[in-house]
Amino acid sequence: MWLGLDVGGTHTDAVIVNEGGVVSSVKVATDHHNLINSIKAAFTKLLEKNNHTNIARINLSTTLSTNAIVEGKTEKVGVIVSSGPGINPAFFSCGEQYHVIDGSIDHRGKEVKTLNAEELQRAVEACQKNGVKVFAAVSKFSTRNPSHEEHISDACTGADFITMGHRLSGNLGFPRRIATSYFNSAVWRLFNSFADAVEKNLADLHVKSPVHILKADGGTLPLSEARHLPVESILSGPAASVMGISALCNISADAVALDIGGTTTDISLYADGEPLVEPHGISLGALPTLVRSLATRSIGIGGDSAIRLSDGALRVGPERIGPSMAEGGSVPTLLDALNFAGNAHHGDTVMSKIGIEKLAQEAGITPQKLTSDAIALAVKKITDAVDSLLKEINDKPVYTIHEMLEGKVITPKALYVMGGPAHAFAPLMEKAFRLPVIVPEHYLVANAIGAALARTTFDLTLLADTERQKLIVPNIGINETCDRNYALEKAKKDARSYLMSHLKKMGIAIQEHDAQIVEESSFNMVGGFYTTGKNIRVRCQVKPAVEVHLHSGGGR
Amino acid sequence: MIQAKRKMGLIFFPAFDWAISPTHPEREERLLYTQDQLLEEGIFDIAGIVEYKPDIASEEDVKRTHFCIPDVASVTTESHMISAGGAIKAARLVMDGEAERAFALVRPPGHHSMKAVHGNRGFCNINIEAVMIEYIREHYGQKRVAIVDTDCHHGDGTQDIYWHDPNTLYISIHQDGRTLYPGSGFLDELGGPNALGKTINIPLPPMTSPEGFLYALDNAVLPILDMFKPDIIVNSAGQDNHYTDPITNMNFSAQGYAILNDRLNPHIAVLEGGYSIQGALPYVNLGIVLAMAGVDYSGVVEPDFNEGAIRQEKSVGQYIEKICSQAVENYRTYAKKPSKNKSSGERGVRQKNIYYDTDGIREKQMESVMVCNDCAGVLYIETVSSINPLSVGIEIPLGACNRCRDEGLRMLKDARQSGKFAHIKLINRRDREYLDY
Ligand SMILES: [Zn+2]
Ligand SMILES: [Zn+2]
Repeated sequence: MWLGLDVGGTHTDAVIVNEGGVVSSVKVATDHHNLINSIKAAFTKLLEKNNHTNIARINLSTTLSTNAIVEGKTEKVGVIVSSGPGINPAFFSCGEQYHVIDGSIDHRGKEVKTLNAEELQRAVEACQKNGVKVFAAVSKFSTRNPSHEEHISDACTGADFITMGHRLSGNLGFPRRIATSYFNSAVWRLFNSFADAVEKNLADLHVKSPVHILKADGGTLPLSEARHLPVESILSGPAASVMGISALCNISADAVALDIGGTTTDISLYADGEPLVEPHGISLGALPTLVRSLATRSIGIGGDSAIRLSDGALRVGPERIGPSMAEGGSVPTLLDALNFAGNAHHGDTVMSKIGIEKLAQEAGITPQKLTSDAIALAVKKITDAVDSLLKEINDKPVYTIHEMLEGKVITPKALYVMGGPAHAFAPLMEKAFRLPVIVPEHYLVANAIGAALARTTFDLTLLADTERQKLIVPNIGINETCDRNYALEKAKKDARSYLMSHLKKMGIAIQEHDAQIVEESSFNMVGGFYTTGKNIRVRCQVKPAVEVHLHSGGGR
Repeated sequence: MIQAKRKMGLIFFPAFDWAISPTHPEREERLLYTQDQLLEEGIFDIAGIVEYKPDIASEEDVKRTHFCIPDVASVTTESHMISAGGAIKAARLVMDGEAERAFALVRPPGHHSMKAVHGNRGFCNINIEAVMIEYIREHYGQKRVAIVDTDCHHGDGTQDIYWHDPNTLYISIHQDGRTLYPGSGFLDELGGPNALGKTINIPLPPMTSPEGFLYALDNAVLPILDMFKPDIIVNSAGQDNHYTDPITNMNFSAQGYAILNDRLNPHIAVLEGGYSIQGALPYVNLGIVLAMAGVDYSGVVEPDFNEGAIRQEKSVGQYIEKICSQAVENYRTYAKKPSKNKSSGERGVRQKNIYYDTDGIREKQMESVMVCNDCAGVLYIETVSSINPLSVGIEIPLGACNRCRDEGLRMLKDARQSGKFAHIKLINRRDREYLDY
């Protein structure tokens, strides 16, 4: 059995699932001021009904870090970067204590200029004087050579915690590395006290199962690892739903999934049945990070989207003024329109009718026209957003002639709809997309099911430069030498075994075939007119997947 | 997050699976470190810079521009069609208003490819800028286009293609042809009888430093552009003038390239040569991208940059001043009025011997153009090479007058009747016909 818990905007859902399906589920209101209370309530309610001795794993999807960052309730971080030539690093300033130190490393990982020790010392002192307890050490091209980050880290004496950029991801992207390191340190203390509380809470309930957190890429990370990588817990909400759909539906082809909630609709894509990963990392607000995520988009259309007239034009969303009138709100919403049109029968449909008729009168049109226009507008916003996501993915640049000519194009064959108004929207979507629409069973707790069944994911990049005889796997701290004859086949084997042994250390056993090579290249490096070595790059991952598929679903 | 001042499209296509040969400068590795640098700098996250996939040029796009002997498929591979397609994509972004500026950071290059093509010369098979410009003219009207070629090598292919076109100004700044391949591009190469002064060459002496390049830009290129008044400026952005380039002898810098691009302010830039793939390209390309997008590029400096080490001799500066004033004078003298040497209806004839260094092909050409006051004049090229028997290409130019069109069709009829030619190619831009016999 697996336990999944998803902290949502209004509700916290928790389920226990086994191979046969959902064993038990609970729903409690989310207390934004005290998430741990909501989690505690959900655990207690769920576990008092069930024997928990054979829960294999507990996965939490929590908004804790995201909310703290979005609301600015984070800790002061001393961000110390070395940049070298290129774009002015002042552009990437974050936090109050941002310091740029002279020193540089080039794209091959060669140290061009040593770190300025004096400047570094001054920066650390300035941070300490300002009461900074957590730091972020980031240098350009640290994924090629982490020595400057290590050097900065060593200088931060007395720190409670230091994030080194290269330990977050093997991907390039200096500005992303700065932002991600900053966030990681900024939420470190908060996340750790949360983790303490979760562990204490479970101990009180005599639960001994390992605890993981859900990541934005639809995979999990052991809580003990997440303690030093708390940034990995951001924006996991949409991933929970995507993995839920994966578990509930037997998706084998290209597909689109819509999770229609109160205020937003989350869109996600599947390629040959597998959730699509965004390779560069997710953006938090306007800031791109190195946190791997699924390719999802969110638009401001949901059951509670207010229907209003502004300058004579009809508007649906993105604002939510309150719940639908059917649920006691004061402004008619999309759900009231669906009620009026007969697509839904939710709550107090009489109130929906009153609200819609009043607005129609103000607009000087029939309520039938008002509702059909409002629904059509909402449907169009959703179809436009899906089209633009598909276009973006299918137009994604490629860098080889082979991919240019043979590249995969995603052509959805089915549409999966879940969330509160799923059934009301299903026929509308079927018409708009001209695709078969499936509303899975248990769609109301699909997010918690997704969290429950998500498996651990991991991703690493191995770089070998046989001319410099250097081999590096930055995010797991491998930095060693390789010989001049080191070759791609060996690199692939090594990448797999590094990944497997790293996971093993975290207590996770995987099959060798689960360690997938997703990118591989070997470039001849030439100096003058002779080959001087090879530049080898291998990316290996455990892709997002669910423990079991619950194929009871699929009904309308 | 950084906001670009100008919306810019970047078409990055490094063709990581294509090389002329494993150790050739034009190999898989060429743009690897450029990609690393652009990714690490976060270029693709700058708001306003959008990365696009290249188009794939069609056979017709090539046939509109070149006489390919024996045919397009024999002288190109997919890589060339994608590279040219990258340039076309850049043009479409700008012409459709989707971006204000666009940079086709693609390979392989094209500026040594001439009107008639038998194979690869100077690492080039088809002229990607010319294919792009003729695409623009086919789809967006007959624009006045200025090409400013800042590759270290003279762009003899682009010069050949636009030699007779009065609506295209070709300016090349390059290392003096007496000291570098392809050995052409002198001050007195000024264009054919219908387009005299519309080809301007600025051959710079070896060891010219940023100071010299920027002098030539400010004192020759920009004043000539002011006089020509182009609708579109295209930069053939070769990067082999860099002080670290292994196959040339110049001393230009990444910062210099960025300043040049900033002042030139081209609508479209297309990568040409540049073979210092670690020491120059990552920084030069970064500088060009930032300059085109209007983002501060002052921090773009090579790790080993040493201003003193690349400073030019005083005599170099004096020589450049002379060259530049002569180039401006040439444009003033010739570009304003039609040729007085020949009268309408006469033919201007050139004999050419062309060597394809990469493929080892020798070609002999007889080219003639109808002198015409009303259009670019019908063009006739007889060509024979070490791999292809005698063939002929006839071009009725865009906006051809009736006389030149009729003359072109008559020449086609004669050529077909003569039985002399293995391949006969017609480019009829007026009626959009591209025929092979
Ligand atoms: Zn060149
Ligand atoms: Zn004419």
